[in-house]
Amino acid sequence: MTFNDIYVLKTIFLIRYLKNRMRNMSNKLKNFFDATSFCVIGASTNPLKPGGVVAENFAKKFPGKLYLVNPKGGEHELAGKKYPLYKSILDIEGTVDVAIIIVPAKYAPKALEECGKKAIREVIITTGGFSEIGVEGQKIQEKMLEIMNEYRINVIGPNCLGLYAPKLGYDTMFLPESKLKRPKSGKVSIFTQSGAFGAAFIDQLYRLGSGNWVSKFISYGNASDINEADCIDYLGSDEETKVILVYLEDFKNGRKFIEKVREISLKKPIMGIKANRTETGAKAGASHTAALSSNDAVVDDLLTEAGFIRVTTWGELEDCVLAFGTQPLPAGDRVAIVTDGGGAGVMASDMVSDCNLKLAKFSEETQKKLDESFPVFYATENPIDITGSATAEDYRIALEAVYSDPNVDSVVNLCLPCIPNLNIEEYIQITKELSKRKDKPFLTALVGGNEAIWGTEKLLQEDVPCFDSPGRAVRAVGLLTQYAKFLKRYNVNESPLKKQ
Amino acid sequence: MSEVINIFENVKKSGRNALLEHEAKDILKILGLVLPPSCLVKSEEEAVKAFHDFEGNVAMKLMSPHILHKTEEGAVVIGLDTEEKVRGVYRDYMQRFANKEIEGILVEKMVKKGIELIIGSQIDETFGPVILIGPGGVFVEVLRDVVFRMCPCTKEQALSAIEEIKTQNLLNGFRGMVKVDREKLAEQMVILSKLAWEYRDYIAEMDINPIIANEQGIFPVDARIILK
Repeated sequence: MTFNDIYVLKTIFLIRYLKNRMRNMSNKLKNFFDATSFCVIGASTNPLKPGGVVAENFAKKFPGKLYLVNPKGGEHELAGKKYPLYKSILDIEGTVDVAIIIVPAKYAPKALEECGKKAIREVIITTGGFSEIGVEGQKIQEKMLEIMNEYRINVIGPNCLGLYAPKLGYDTMFLPESKLKRPKSGKVSIFTQSGAFGAAFIDQLYRLGSGNWVSKFISYGNASDINEADCIDYLGSDEETKVILVYLEDFKNGRKFIEKVREISLKKPIMGIKANRTETGAKAGASHTAALSSNDAVVDDLLTEAGFIRVTTWGELEDCVLAFGTQPLPAGDRVAIVTDGGGAGVMASDMVSDCNLKLAKFSEETQKKLDESFPVFYATENPIDITGSATAEDYRIALEAVYSDPNVDSVVNLCLPCIPNLNIEEYIQITKELSKRKDKPFLTALVGGNEAIWGTEKLLQEDVPCFDSPGRAVRAVGLLTQYAKFLKRYNVNESPLKKQ
Repeated sequence: MSEVINIFENVKKSGRNALLEHEAKDILKILGLVLPPSCLVKSEEEAVKAFHDFEGNVAMKLMSPHILHKTEEGAVVIGLDTEEKVRGVYRDYMQRFANKEIEGILVEKMVKKGIELIIGSQIDETFGPVILIGPGGVFVEVLRDVVFRMCPCTKEQALSAIEEIKTQNLLNGFRGMVKVDREKLAEQMVILSKLAWEYRDYIAEMDINPIIANEQGIFPVDARIILK
């Protein structure tokens, strides 16, 4: 061996070493999404079976190389292309970046071990029947853990839906598209402990507005390896993710999760549900502190402090997507309300104080304009009530005046379309136009029957947020303002939700 | 901070898992907190001397490993302002607790009235050591107006916790009462959160209750530390 040979060898080893280190340093989830080759273990020829659905998803949408494994062997045609069915992953000649295991739990350890032998370091296991079903399943999961450690495999799952990233053509959701609709690419990324919640919410986002919402979706199930802390870490550094939405029931690494949330929430909003709120954990200890420390009391305070926007209902989550997915952040907490119904205005005003917001005091100029434009029986102070006599033109005057007022940070546009002189089409047009300005949050609620529903659909088609009650619209302002206040507290001046 | 560990180890060696008040307060002093002047006495004459040293207004608390809840067992008497009263309490303790092991009697200068607060810590099964702050005193578990932070916490986190206390009126000088010095209170919370974090292998639970905020400052008046 010459000196030169040694030099070359040294360089090769150094590169390998560095590559390996880089891989370990980068977030575990990044390796999954960066895959250029993908293998479905348990690929079924039945298009409705999970292994058939995932194979078809990838055949149709994934731009990289796809391999299918099925012990029966043979061939399978998908999206006009013939794929050999390998009897074992070890029979594949090319390299595989990521594999998904969709076989019954009892066969999963063998499949995982073969992945290890094939040097696949990223594996998704969607199958259920592990720790969540009791002792037997727990045993299999422990066996899997041994294999994971031995081959240093990163695992998502088991008992999950895996990953969905429309822009990357990545879709391990094993429910057929005829049943579970897929939202298109957008700025919101989601991670969820519950697969069923995830599936239903994904389906819901498809029909919400334009359906262009999702950047990355991660369902991590039993979190045998990848957990909530890995998810938040990855989405925090993912450039395409602008808004992070979370569904959690418990924590695998609560401390790290909170620390990551604290860091990432300064760059992008994080919101969601931490369910399982029952007051457990508080024990009659020797100290007052122990007696006061119920699990949810601690969780709630730590999440809030870290900047996590916690909501409690499914509906609020959808409101979060609409508000954070389409609106800029407000400069402050002063809200203007425009309504054609007194009751709606009063209820909205109540919600303003419930959400720690304030009713804006209009500038002299705005007040003068309103007073001059409207008959005396309109209430021109905040909340502005243009009454049952309102026309679409009245709405335009009122909304434009308050929207342009520097004393107003957010605008809530309430309409009960059942009044006689209001042309709903004109009103919708005015609302759409104003919502394009995106200088401040502008949220609408249309309350009533068929006209309200028709109008709501028209607005949502263009991702103009519109709700079915005054309270929901104000609460959405409340969530945006809560986040704006959090950023202000930490002197973050550049809004993560710039004009969008 | 081997001094702190020494105290923990000594308590363990004597077969206890709860520090006596004066032991817990020694730890707070090591950390630099300002406590009301006090003296552990072992005779009636020492008690009388301490009474005069502390300007003739003291509390007397019996220190015994057998008594964990001092107030409930009548082992705390406050506002003693004559020598006779001090002698009387001393003799009463010696008589009533004759069959108990007695470490001594803590004679402590009375702290002027103020707002009562609590700072406490415990080990949360999800987040590890956490610290709470809120209105304290005997009604702490009735009010339940406490805010949690993860240990160790920064001063900013402590200040935001104080801001999240619901009964803000209580802190802002309600009806001529003292306005609580939030900066100083936050600093104490930070110090205690570091204690709970650094000695997480020793400390299971901690109650500093009440902490009295008055015109002169913020003073931990009772302290309970339970070891693992």
